[in-house]
Amino acid sequence: MTRQSPFSVRGRRALMVMRDERDIAIVRRQLGRLGITICEHDPAEAPPPSESADVVVLDADAIPIKSDLTGMWKAGAPIIALIGTETPSRLKWLLELQPASFLVKPLRSAGLYTALVVAFDSVQRRTEEANYLDRLEVRVRSRRLVFAAVLQIMQSHNLSEPDAFTLIRQTAMRHRTTIEQLSADIIALGGMPNRTTRSA
Amino acid sequence: MMSGEMRKSALMAVDEINLSAEFDFVFEPHLRDPGGVVAAYHTACADLIREEQVDHIVGCYTSASRKQVIPIVERTERLLWHPARYEGFESSDNVIYVGAAPNQHVVPLVRHMLDHISHDVFCVGSNYVWTWETNRVIREIVTSAGGRILAERLLELGEPSVDHIVKEVIERKPPVVINTLVGESSYAFMRALHEATSRAGLTIPMLSCSLCEPELKLIGSAASVGCVTSSAYFESIDRPENLGFVARWKARHGTDKHVSVDGLSTYVCVMLLARAIRRAGSADVAAVRRAAANHRYESPQGPVWVDPENNHCFLTPRLARSVHGCQFKIFWEADAPERPDPYLSNLDLSTIGRRRETSNDETTLRSNHLRVVK
Repeated sequence: MTRQSPFSVRGRRALMVMRDERDIAIVRRQLGRLGITICEHDPAEAPPPSESADVVVLDADAIPIKSDLTGMWKAGAPIIALIGTETPSRLKWLLELQPASFLVKPLRSAGLYTALVVAFDSVQRRTEEANYLDRLEVRVRSRRLVFAAVLQIMQSHNLSEPDAFTLIRQTAMRHRTTIEQLSADIIALGGMPNRTTRSA
Repeated sequence: MMSGEMRKSALMAVDEINLSAEFDFVFEPHLRDPGGVVAAYHTACADLIREEQVDHIVGCYTSASRKQVIPIVERTERLLWHPARYEGFESSDNVIYVGAAPNQHVVPLVRHMLDHISHDVFCVGSNYVWTWETNRVIREIVTSAGGRILAERLLELGEPSVDHIVKEVIERKPPVVINTLVGESSYAFMRALHEATSRAGLTIPMLSCSLCEPELKLIGSAASVGCVTSSAYFESIDRPENLGFVARWKARHGTDKHVSVDGLSTYVCVMLLARAIRRAGSADVAAVRRAAANHRYESPQGPVWVDPENNHCFLTPRLARSVHGCQFKIFWEADAPERPDPYLSNLDLSTIGRRRETSNDETTLRSNHLRVVK
């Protein structure tokens, strides 16, 4: 998958969830200059499907703190929050929303591009980190499996623990599989799979 | 109602300055009434600045309206003199905040509740920023002191249907209710709760940090009595500056009418402005801002001055109980004007309202700066 640069914003789709006409005019004009496709959405309505936008520009003051809508926005596209009130009660609400970026009102033409770049970049990083964490979790879950396989190989090949692990790692590499997968095979077969005995 | 109260007192201050030999200039007021329509505040201020060339604007009651005005006063380097108490967490160089910051009205009320009423509280408020933030501060102080928020019920602004909340209060019999409702919702709630508690033979204390004298009249004498209220001003303050002020105000507006904290605060805004202009020798915004800093004014509510650290005012917090005759009986006031702390960054939760068994040290500590007023 090619990684889209966070600096290239042209052609992306923004959803504006705002109420104040002056703010809307500023954001609409600036998004237009950047070549972003704009949709507007009534803050009182439930969010549209998350695939319909690449970024959401959401005015924090347009949604009451106790609103049921808050959680629904969280699940969707990255959010640039527009902040008018810096009270902790509002900021706590904002943290729940996990915005990818923010702008403090009053809005100016400057700042929106930075907010977009930071939003796109942080979403990219978040996705990469989430994937990395997924991989780590799989490995952590397989630790017992790998340990059992190492024990098996130590006994069957009469090897020390580091040597048994090295053998498993090298075999996995030769066969372009993971240590975890090979360990599962070793446990299932009660020994090193046949083909692994063939030299590469 | 509030805008009318504020305008009346602002114009009274203008007339007093214009007639006074102490000031060698006169104010020419230009009035605009955006009528509570949030978007109209920006337009009204733009008009005042561009068409009337005003340097100083006095007004705005709600935070929503103030936030509309701030961009334009910042861009054009004007000063907004803001009379209303508010939830804090703001500090613009182009606003002088003359109303109470949260440490000057919310904190003393919660402290009193914890020390003298209960650690468990039922909160009722209007669904907007002031209640949200006030409730957050209450929750933080109460839970840190080992108490509980029994409920937090919100009503939309202006909503007069309060029966479901009154019913819940009667059923659960909380030891105390904090009311941060505003306007008609608050009046309706106080009337309905009074009726319901009387019928059920219950006494449930109510606390407020916004109730004022003209509202007591609107609520009606029976239901409005007994509410413990926190404010930097009550009409009943017994000091010469206030007695004179109230007499002049009543001579002008009628003896059956009552001054409110927001009206008085608007009067103080105009007075602080006039005194700063006199001290600066000019109405220039930068010069006035400098001159206003630390320039002490013996106002009807006690000494008031602007803290240049954050453009909010030193004010004297007070607690009172509403009584018959649309008045408040003051039972506590701070020893000295309290430094404004709009970000509550000096709030030390460990010194407030710990439950009895752990509070002996703190009680001694507190008595150094709290004083009971008979």
